[in-house]
Amino acid sequence: MLDFFTIFSKGGIVLWCFQGAGVTESFTEPVNALIRSVILQERSGNNSYTHEALNLKYKLDNEFELIFVVGFQKILTLTYVDKFIDDVQLHFRDRYKNELEQKGPLKLIQNNFAFEDDFTMLLKDAEKSSKARSQGNMRTFDQSEKSQKTVKSMIETKGGEKVKEQGGKKNKNNKKEATAAEPVKLDQGKAGQKTAENGNQGLTSEEIMLKKREEFFRKRTAVPTEKPVKSPKPQKPREKQMRVWDMGGNSTKEVDYSRRNGDGSSNGGDQNQEAQIYLGEQLNSMKGDLLSVDYESSEEEEGMEEEEEEERVVVNQTSKTSSKKSGGFGGMFGMLKGLVGSKSLSREDMEPVLEKMRDHLIAKNVAADISSKLCDSVAIKLEGKVMGTFTTVASTVKQALQDSLVQILQPKRRVDILRDVMEARSQRRPFVVTFCGVNGVGKSTNLAKISFWLIENGFTVLIAACDTFRAGAVEQLRTHQRRLNSLHPPEKHGGRPVVQLYEKGYGKDAAGIAMEAIAYARNQAFDVVLVDTAGRMQDNTPLMTALAKLIAVNMPDLVLFVGEALVGNEAVDQLVKFNQALADHSMSEKPRLIDGIVLTKFDTIDDKVGAAISMTYITGQPIVFVGTGQTYNDLRSLNARAVVSALMKA
Amino acid sequence: MEADSTGGNMGDKADVEMSENPFEPYIESLRQQLEDQDPIFLIGVIVAFAVVVITCVFLKYFLTSKTVRSAVLLVGLCDSGKTLLFSRLLAGKFKRTQTSITDSSAPYKAKNDRGSTWTLIDLPGHDSLRSQYLEKFKSAARAIVFVVDSAIFQKEVRDVAEFLYILLTDNVISRNAPVLVVACNKQDITMAKSAKLIQQQLEKEMNTLRVTHSAALSSQDGSVGGSVYLGKKGKDFEFGQLPLKVEFLECSARGSKGEEGDADIESLEKSLAKL
Repeated sequence: MLDFFTIFSKGGIVLWCFQGAGVTESFTEPVNALIRSVILQERSGNNSYTHEALNLKYKLDNEFELIFVVGFQKILTLTYVDKFIDDVQLHFRDRYKNELEQKGPLKLIQNNFAFEDDFTMLLKDAEKSSKARSQGNMRTFDQSEKSQKTVKSMIETKGGEKVKEQGGKKNKNNKKEATAAEPVKLDQGKAGQKTAENGNQGLTSEEIMLKKREEFFRKRTAVPTEKPVKSPKPQKPREKQMRVWDMGGNSTKEVDYSRRNGDGSSNGGDQNQEAQIYLGEQLNSMKGDLLSVDYESSEEEEGMEEEEEEERVVVNQTSKTSSKKSGGFGGMFGMLKGLVGSKSLSREDMEPVLEKMRDHLIAKNVAADISSKLCDSVAIKLEGKVMGTFTTVASTVKQALQDSLVQILQPKRRVDILRDVMEARSQRRPFVVTFCGVNGVGKSTNLAKISFWLIENGFTVLIAACDTFRAGAVEQLRTHQRRLNSLHPPEKHGGRPVVQLYEKGYGKDAAGIAMEAIAYARNQAFDVVLVDTAGRMQDNTPLMTALAKLIAVNMPDLVLFVGEALVGNEAVDQLVKFNQALADHSMSEKPRLIDGIVLTKFDTIDDKVGAAISMTYITGQPIVFVGTGQTYNDLRSLNARAVVSALMKA
Repeated sequence: MEADSTGGNMGDKADVEMSENPFEPYIESLRQQLEDQDPIFLIGVIVAFAVVVITCVFLKYFLTSKTVRSAVLLVGLCDSGKTLLFSRLLAGKFKRTQTSITDSSAPYKAKNDRGSTWTLIDLPGHDSLRSQYLEKFKSAARAIVFVVDSAIFQKEVRDVAEFLYILLTDNVISRNAPVLVVACNKQDITMAKSAKLIQQQLEKEMNTLRVTHSAALSSQDGSVGGSVYLGKKGKDFEFGQLPLKVEFLECSARGSKGEEGDADIESLEKSLAKL
């Protein structure tokens, strides 16, 4: 039933493999895909992975640096696989302990691991046990607990008092009555007992023995029947309690923002007209003493999110301090014990450190479920590993977490835009880059910065203004074009302007404008086409459809998602929904997804750089550009090590 | 007058004597004290001093001996055949391999008269792991074997060139100048390119990469990557212009006779023996 089973070392050498009967395809490719997408991308939280028609389950053995992988057809649901892998792992370790402990790849290469017999035996056992388990007998109605309950006892009465019922159904009635009578008697008996015990001294020893024997029997029979008598208590009708918010005030006056700074959600652009109204509204609002900080209004839409994050941070910090206090004394000797000697790491040892690390990552603006997934992945990687002397659990976990963070931030493919543009130029076609993202992240600003960089390196750029919705978008791009052309005048670059703007005004279809722009660029031999799209929220389905259509129709060389570094948990939602939309609405088999990320407003965060991790983890794509300001020179590339050290800094 | 001069002389002499005298009584008293002490105690002090000096010398020797470079690194892109080559060089056996996620190192006995042993280290080729393992092992490298998949070289030429460029412009590697052997692997496949062709293509690619990498953006904390300029300015890039020795050779880890036969790695073994 299994397609294959392999055991290989983390260094890549296959120690033993088994291929099921009738399976002709080699398993190298699915296992390589498993390694690359799960283990290397730190998604080893759940231990199964699907590749085409196969379902792969794996287990890491960190003590001997081995990986066990089993593959079977997706349509089969085999229940014994998890336990089977565990059994095989234990068996293999026990049998080959000597060879594995040598820790030299030489031994692994030279040894022939003849594991077939054990394996077939284990497989037979596993299959047999799964067949046996699946044929459990169903209970008859009489045997179930429901028949023991009486109908009346299941009715909830409004009085709030449980109605003690003695009557009931047919067969069980007598027993029920007898046993039900017992508790009543028992209650009386208990009361009687207490008085009796006081008076026991007056009775003879035989009578005491008889009495005690009666009590003993009563107790024995009373205990199992107490359970069916206790029917569920009807709930007291509770009144609706008014909800109390931690950070909320007591009056509704604070929520009234109408007198304060007016409409705050205006994105850039027009200032003159509205500025006067804006100032006019502020005219009388600052009379008297200055109000304290709590009363200030938060204008942005992310205001609520920031408050929630603050709450979460506050809660996390209190839990952090409390866990520190509780671990204080017991941890002192444990620390000394842990310092000397080699011991293997277990889940319980790592839990407190992982908790702390998770909170630390969340405090550094990494999305919450990504930090927990990362911590789970690190735990799986380290479970069972043998630590050397003088290394604490905390230092091992921190080192492993740091390595996995660097691994996530390293690009998984070559990132060299200039080389790709040259390649496209040699093929006589323009290199098309599309910018997409939500509102207000800095698409147009960073588009201008990137075109400046390309011009400095001798390429000609065509900007396609496909943002036909936002007022002033085309004018903004035209201003950038004029500025860039004045910085690099056409006389110095062979008589033709280095930047041109292709626009068709407002209200037209963005995909059509993009297609025309690309055709124009091909005719006029432009090197690069930069397509600017309108900002859109990820929940807005018609706009997401429109974006997907633009990308599917024009097939750009590079689809860049522009995200700001200030974003918190929203980053996960944005990227997932954007990718989903692009995949759903594409007509071809291999849909164009997001190829790279532009991280903007990096100068506004000092060391809370977690957004970089969230974005690269979710998509698996590299961060191509980092925007660090508003002038043309503020464009950088990502240095993974610097970001990770800023992230791990206390 | 004479009396004055002699008096002056006497005064001078007295002055000289006076300046020597403050030390004299101290030295005298020290000498006295030392001689008063037990000679065994004196010997003990001298022995302790000698032991301290010797341990200092030993420590210095040990610390410097760690930086002796005795490792041969196997690097290359993912799926180029490094782990199989590792297994063949060490034991001559064919083993099925998967993508490596950690390094493997083992001592390797070179096939030359001196019988020198190196440490052969197989580094993972996957993009996300490449740089951190290279950082760990580059200072100990005496020779680097860069494994290239000759069959799909045409499709991967830019990635291969990028990796090679990063290797050559690394500060530590260009300072230590290890021997670089480019092994064009998978020659058993019929579509495999020859070593000469691969060398020419790489030279052309590196020429372009010199320009694009110098124009690349600096990273966000201001640091720029390796600032070594390859080859000579103004002339096309050639591997002969580099300060370190580069050698191109062909090999096949799988071998022409399939899994059971030997691998064609004689040329690789020969050049490793020359180290």
